[in-house]
Amino acid sequence: MSDIEALNEQLAGLQEEALKAFSGATDLAVLEQLRVAYLGKKGALTEVLKGVGKLPPEQRPVIGQQVNAVKQALATALDAMESELAVKAKAERIEAERLDVTLPGRSGPVGALHPVQQGLDEITAIFSQMGFAVAEGPEIENEFHNFDALNIPPEHPARAMHDTFFVKGLSSGENAEPMLLRTHTSPVQIRAMRRFLEEGHEPPLAVVAPGRVYRCDYDVTHSPMFHQVEVFKVDHDVSMAHLKGVLKHFLSTYFEREVDIRLRPHYFPFTEPSAEVDIGCVFCARKGCRICKGSGWIEVLGSGMIHPNVLRSVGIDSSIFSGFAFGLGVERLVMLKQGIPDLRLFFENDVRFLRRMGS
Amino acid sequence: MKIPFSWLKEQVALSKSPAEIADDLIRLGHEVEGIELPRAAVQGVRVGLIEAKVPHPDADKLSLLKVNIGEAELLDIVCGASNMDVGDKIPVATVGTSLPNGLTIKKGKIRGETSCGMCCSETELGLADESAGLLILPADAPIGMEVGEFLQLEEAVIDLSITPNRGDCMNVRGLARDLAADANLPLADINSQTAEVESTVQAVAVSVSADSDCPVYLARRIEGVKLADSPAWMQAGLIMAGMRPVNGIVDVLNYVMLYYGQPMHAFDADNIDGDITVRSAVAGEDFAALDGRKLKLTAGDLLVSDASSVIALAGIMGSEASGVSNSTTNIVLESAFFRPARVSETRRTYAMVSEASMRFERGVDPLMVATAMQQASLLIQQLFGGQIGAITTCGDAAAIHAGVRVRCAVSRIESRLGIEIPESVDAVLRRMGFGIERSGNTIDVTVPSFRHDISIAEDLSEEYARVIGFDAIPEVLPSLATIAPARLDRSIHDAVASGFLQVVSYAFIAEKEQRLFVPADGNDISLENPISDAMSVMRRSAWPGLMNVAKHNLNRQQAGVALAEQGRLYVKTANGHAEDNVLAWLMTGEVARDEWCGSARNADFFDLKAALESWLAVRGLTGRFIADDSIVGLQAGQSARILVGRVEAGRIGKVDGDIAAAFDIDTPVFVADINLDALPEGKKAKFQSLPEFPGVERDLVFLFDKHTTSEAILNTVRSAGGKLLNDARIFDLYQGKGVPEDKVSLGIRFSLQAADRTLTQEDSDAAMHAIIEAVGKRFAATFRG
Repeated sequence: MSDIEALNEQLAGLQEEALKAFSGATDLAVLEQLRVAYLGKKGALTEVLKGVGKLPPEQRPVIGQQVNAVKQALATALDAMESELAVKAKAERIEAERLDVTLPGRSGPVGALHPVQQGLDEITAIFSQMGFAVAEGPEIENEFHNFDALNIPPEHPARAMHDTFFVKGLSSGENAEPMLLRTHTSPVQIRAMRRFLEEGHEPPLAVVAPGRVYRCDYDVTHSPMFHQVEVFKVDHDVSMAHLKGVLKHFLSTYFEREVDIRLRPHYFPFTEPSAEVDIGCVFCARKGCRICKGSGWIEVLGSGMIHPNVLRSVGIDSSIFSGFAFGLGVERLVMLKQGIPDLRLFFENDVRFLRRMGS
Repeated sequence: MKIPFSWLKEQVALSKSPAEIADDLIRLGHEVEGIELPRAAVQGVRVGLIEAKVPHPDADKLSLLKVNIGEAELLDIVCGASNMDVGDKIPVATVGTSLPNGLTIKKGKIRGETSCGMCCSETELGLADESAGLLILPADAPIGMEVGEFLQLEEAVIDLSITPNRGDCMNVRGLARDLAADANLPLADINSQTAEVESTVQAVAVSVSADSDCPVYLARRIEGVKLADSPAWMQAGLIMAGMRPVNGIVDVLNYVMLYYGQPMHAFDADNIDGDITVRSAVAGEDFAALDGRKLKLTAGDLLVSDASSVIALAGIMGSEASGVSNSTTNIVLESAFFRPARVSETRRTYAMVSEASMRFERGVDPLMVATAMQQASLLIQQLFGGQIGAITTCGDAAAIHAGVRVRCAVSRIESRLGIEIPESVDAVLRRMGFGIERSGNTIDVTVPSFRHDISIAEDLSEEYARVIGFDAIPEVLPSLATIAPARLDRSIHDAVASGFLQVVSYAFIAEKEQRLFVPADGNDISLENPISDAMSVMRRSAWPGLMNVAKHNLNRQQAGVALAEQGRLYVKTANGHAEDNVLAWLMTGEVARDEWCGSARNADFFDLKAALESWLAVRGLTGRFIADDSIVGLQAGQSARILVGRVEAGRIGKVDGDIAAAFDIDTPVFVADINLDALPEGKKAKFQSLPEFPGVERDLVFLFDKHTTSEAILNTVRSAGGKLLNDARIFDLYQGKGVPEDKVSLGIRFSLQAADRTLTQEDSDAAMHAIIEAVGKRFAATFRG
């Protein structure tokens, strides 16, 4: 047998052996070893190539082609096997990494805004978007801002109805008038209007003033501290129709549905006319239920046209300007919207309640 | 105020149901709190005649009755009462009846015997709070008649909350006037009969010196009264109206007040010494009030006195000694107009409220003063006999509140209401007592004597609005100038975003809890009239409130809490007081719990510090935490002041163990607060291009003296690291085996980066050498690797 025949045979044997070995490889590592064993620098094919040098030069290209063909065939087989094994290996890995996706995620602390805060944010945002500017005022007030400027003189019966907390050791003005915890957010009307005028502006002025207020009254339906939002607008020709329009828009936006509103004549010293505002019961669609005590209406806030004495107390000419004002209880609106049955829950701060109401 | 429906019907022929009238009252501005239906409440209870009574075979205390309710068959009723006999007439609740106490009568068996109804007591009919046995009805009660009808129970009682401006409606007559005007029905005339005056009865001598506080005062003697209980109809009416019958005279005066709105007073004439004077009090005068209180009067209080003592605090309460008792035979009746502000001030001074003062404070109708005197006199004489003396009148009622007129443009009212006012509405107001003349755009209104609340055009706008009805006013959205919305305060939102629950606690706390965190310095603001000691002082720290919330929740099986609160703190200052807006945090107990992928861990200082650092970072701020052992209430060595820029913005630390224990908390508690008002404005982030070239990280480990602060170390390495040092952070801290007792091993990881090139080995080596050298020099620290 000639050298070339021997070489050819050797090549054929090598190819057959290698292909067999490749197809028997069980994983990529084995396959890599085989690649090195057959095609590597010191591999079997290289060994065979060493024999080429012994051939006469004219035979070398022939055998060279042969070697390349074998090399090509092995490489192709190797690639195919490699992809096959890669797919298999990936499938195995995926299977090995399979999780119980129903296990709970790692727990981290979850915060929540207090429901009153959520209410304040929502209410303030609605009025902000309508163009009302946000204002605040002190909680420890003098009698002037809390009462006198709001047309509630000392002998006024309404003053006694406010269940006012007085503070010790503070006084206001030359007459050392006692200081108190504001009983409503209405004093912000006075402060905001005064500031506005002092800054040299002229109405229109539209303000929303959220804040804490205090009444000396503590039972199932009264908290000595609660939250109110005061809303008012002063301009030329402001009318009760505007008041009703703003109330309707606000209440419908807040309750996320078109609500009916009903104004009932009432009395507040700082407004004239004054009206209590009811909404069509959001629980029974005005059919009458336990919440609305069968009436189909739920009282939500007090409102009215700003009394000329109030405008006068800040120096606004009531023959030129008029305004509306209303004050709403945040806890009450939140209770209605979220179905919270008991006012005390807000101040008990039970974390189970806070988490539950957090969304 | 409760008004029996039948009283309203005596004044105006109402054809509507009580519920419809309640709606009308609401529309007219009178708040209806509720409607009681005493007659309907006992519908189905009928007059029954007991025809047979035998003992229950199986129960000693029960009887078997055969009761005739006027139907074909007698009713078998098992009854537990013992005060009835055959021939008695009793109220029988028939099967299906629901009683005021909520019980619904069903046919049933009681100890084996059939019972088809229930015999009722007064309590069960809702007529009394307690009763002994069955209500035995008069013999002439028609068998089978509805008991409510037989007893003439009130059809309805309307419970009203009259607003302070409408004193004129704190009586039947005033409400009837509004209803009559609204429905265009006539209002009944007041009985114009006057009592016959006996010349033998001496007139009362009265002098009024405080005539501005008492512009009109009427008094008259009635002699020889035979005092008895007021009649049943009057007592029933008073009870329905929510008042207790007292004695004949007082009941009549209360009835007149409820009916006509004029409060009156009766003195026992035999207990009055000489003439009556109405005058201002001298400071310190004694007054022994009917309610048993002994007062020292204030100068200016309006009083009624005789020659020797004060017999009444005008319009508020009489004296104990001068009052009418069951043995009284001669009386002096008083009817007057006292100035509202005067009554209000005195009433507030002594915290003394009476039905009379409530009406005087709101202003009574001056023209009703004399009418009420006549009505009361007539009733007293009619019921209890007696000879009536002449009325002594001081002052002129017609001069009070006379001719109050309001003139204004109709268009002014229209633009205030946002609706047109047709002339037809004037007629309704005229029926309500107003004199109205309209010419073109002008109205000229004369206000009736009983409306003290109307003096300007805006007041009239309310009258028009309630007559037209607020429902008629359209809903119009005004055009609102849009103002740049204020920047939203995100303080609490950002705290919540890092896992804290927002709480809201009271602004007033217990003084002893204040002292746990705030030293006594006289700058507390406490309440004059707190709800309780636990709510008596305005808080100067949010921590006591948070501690209480933590306690509340840990007591309810919570393994840990992370709380945040935003609110104000209140403190006296040199020129008044300050209200600082603060954000406060509290963490205690588990921050991580046992779960399949990790185990439980309690909160520590650095959990809370992390929350504060990230809260500050969100607003473009960083804080320096400066160890401070002097923070009241916090544990030395685990507490710090927080410096933001140059401002002392907050505090953080572990609550003293004894204090935590006082709140029943046994896990370490960490608290912090930030004064939001003091906090400097954070920097709004400016864009910086992202690094183009890769950085490298290098670790160094040193042994430091135990007391070296990481802040000092990091400051040193940062300045030594030069421009290339991007960040240095402590990645390892070790004390223990292999480290000397007074040392600590710190591992610091440095990241180095240049903006313009890839760093070389030489670059980072140079930086590390500089750092090692600086650290060695500054701290005598040992470089470990």
